[in-house]
Amino acid sequence: MNRLISLLAQAGLWLAAFISVFPFLWMITGATNTANDITGGRFLPGTNLLPNIAKFFELVDAGQVFFNSFFVAITGTALTLIVSSLAGYGFEIFASKTRDRVFAGLLLLLSVPFAAMMIPLFVMFSSAGLINSYIAMIAPGIASIFMIFYFRQNTKSFPHELRDAAKLDGLKEWQIFWFIYIPVMRSTYAAAMIILFMTNWNAYLWPLIVLQTNDMKTITLTVASLATAYTPDYGLIMIANVLATLPTILVFFLLQRRFVEGMLGGVK
Amino acid sequence: MSVTLKSLRKAYGAAEVIKGVDLEITPGEFCVFVGPSGCGKSTLLRMIAGLEEITGGDLVIGGKRMNEVDAAHRGIAMVFQSYALYPHMTVRENMGFALKFAGDNPGTIAKKVDAAAATLGLTKLMDRKPKDLSGGQRQRVAIGRAIVRNPKVFLFDEPLSNLDAELRVHMRIEIARLHQELKTTIIYVTHDQVEAMTLADKIVVLRDGRVEQVGAPLTLYDDPDNIFVAGFIGSPKMNFLKARVQNGQLALVDLPGQTLPLTQSLPEGSEVTVGLRPDIFKRGGTAHLDLTIEIVEQLGAETYAYARAGADIDGQPLTIAVTEGRDLRPGQALKVTFDPARALLFGKDGQRLR
Repeated sequence: MNRLISLLAQAGLWLAAFISVFPFLWMITGATNTANDITGGRFLPGTNLLPNIAKFFELVDAGQVFFNSFFVAITGTALTLIVSSLAGYGFEIFASKTRDRVFAGLLLLLSVPFAAMMIPLFVMFSSAGLINSYIAMIAPGIASIFMIFYFRQNTKSFPHELRDAAKLDGLKEWQIFWFIYIPVMRSTYAAAMIILFMTNWNAYLWPLIVLQTNDMKTITLTVASLATAYTPDYGLIMIANVLATLPTILVFFLLQRRFVEGMLGGVK
Repeated sequence: MSVTLKSLRKAYGAAEVIKGVDLEITPGEFCVFVGPSGCGKSTLLRMIAGLEEITGGDLVIGGKRMNEVDAAHRGIAMVFQSYALYPHMTVRENMGFALKFAGDNPGTIAKKVDAAAATLGLTKLMDRKPKDLSGGQRQRVAIGRAIVRNPKVFLFDEPLSNLDAELRVHMRIEIARLHQELKTTIIYVTHDQVEAMTLADKIVVLRDGRVEQVGAPLTLYDDPDNIFVAGFIGSPKMNFLKARVQNGQLALVDLPGQTLPLTQSLPEGSEVTVGLRPDIFKRGGTAHLDLTIEIVEQLGAETYAYARAGADIDGQPLTIAVTEGRDLRPGQALKVTFDPARALLFGKDGQRLR
């Protein structure tokens, strides 16, 4: 009986794993096939990898597109980390009568869908003359409520006595934050960094609205525009996807251990 | 360096936690704040350290008022209960961090850190991170970090409470030795009265934000001002018996029919509490009590007997500590005698009657 349950569980897990991994594998094999092979249902690796790559670099100004993506993702991630962790640190460390009410108000804002803020945001950036700029892409995400929440929760595990010890060692508040808090909380930062990098890298809707010229477009928008052609070349789209996915995978594997530590919480 | 507290007060909103503390700590003195949890001893220490704002009164260190002076500039160093070592730094970096921040040159820092490490036997651990150290080693690093700063006053906030019993005794002796070597003023907070008795030149007993009594350990032990101090200092705890003055004698309310001789003049009918330390019960002496042993604890050198009066199971249990008690058995009748002059009397308000 137990064996049967175990077998069924195994089968369920394999199915779930297959469903998760299959699209990914298909993307990779698709990148090596022609559009006809793919629509014909071929899943095995083909021989069209190099022509697909050549076509991608012919159609897309890859240098500019990847620069845009990296610039937006890295700057956005860095700024969000600084601003949100400072806010989370402040909310947790400095006791006040109103902080929990302010915080609850912030959390309430999480329930407002982006779609509801899209148009007001666009009007704001448009009247500030910032449409089609890096600032417009990066700025709205910097004060991330979720990240403030995440950092506040994790700051609860930051030993307050470390702050006391640092004060006695002569550190000012910003120095405590910089020299003690950030290094001690590095796992928390690593996990946040992966999430933010992926969010920024994959951002689609807001950049689509706020960007107008091809030279500002990110890789995500470029892939989408390839897919909306009159006769989509799936081989081309797949290789573009592979190239678009590589950086996030790389970041994840580099920070994987810290990511797990950070998600589990706790000061290491 | 001397430390003086003049009617020092601390309030959080309307709640007052330190209610006017006056205290004079002389240079080189080992002063221990002791009291039950919530008595304000740690808050008082943190106020001296500069980690808590002072609501009222004056804090004077070495003749200078320090109320508004930054924690780093008070000439103090503190050892925390959790050690508060920076987890991302090695032992060497932890110990030198304050000096590095104060702008000392690397040569001087290395010299001071190495000297402190040698004193504390840390030389072989200098390149380890705190997580690779045992509790006792972490404690020594925390002390080393304090020594390196060459403070005028050391503050210890329950430094031994995270250690196991054996290590606690060991570290206690090390701290005492360190004090003899450095001759620096030390203010030490603990809830453990044994630590207070063994380490202190001067004990400050705190309760509810107020000083109950200040004095040398044996003064507090032999001559407490009130029931609280009498009960808090000493292990095992002092026995307290309710009594009434009747016919020039003390009739024990808790041990019906038994009396003790009255050693001081009190009006007939007054209600008092008699305090008897467990170690005053010796063979000989003019006062005696008739008891029945309930439980015996053999410690080897000493025996603790927990005894009640007669067969009355609801009677007041008394702790008797005797050195020659290996033959004591539960259920046995025990007649204890003692010198009535060693019984302490407390009035209804808990204050000592002298």
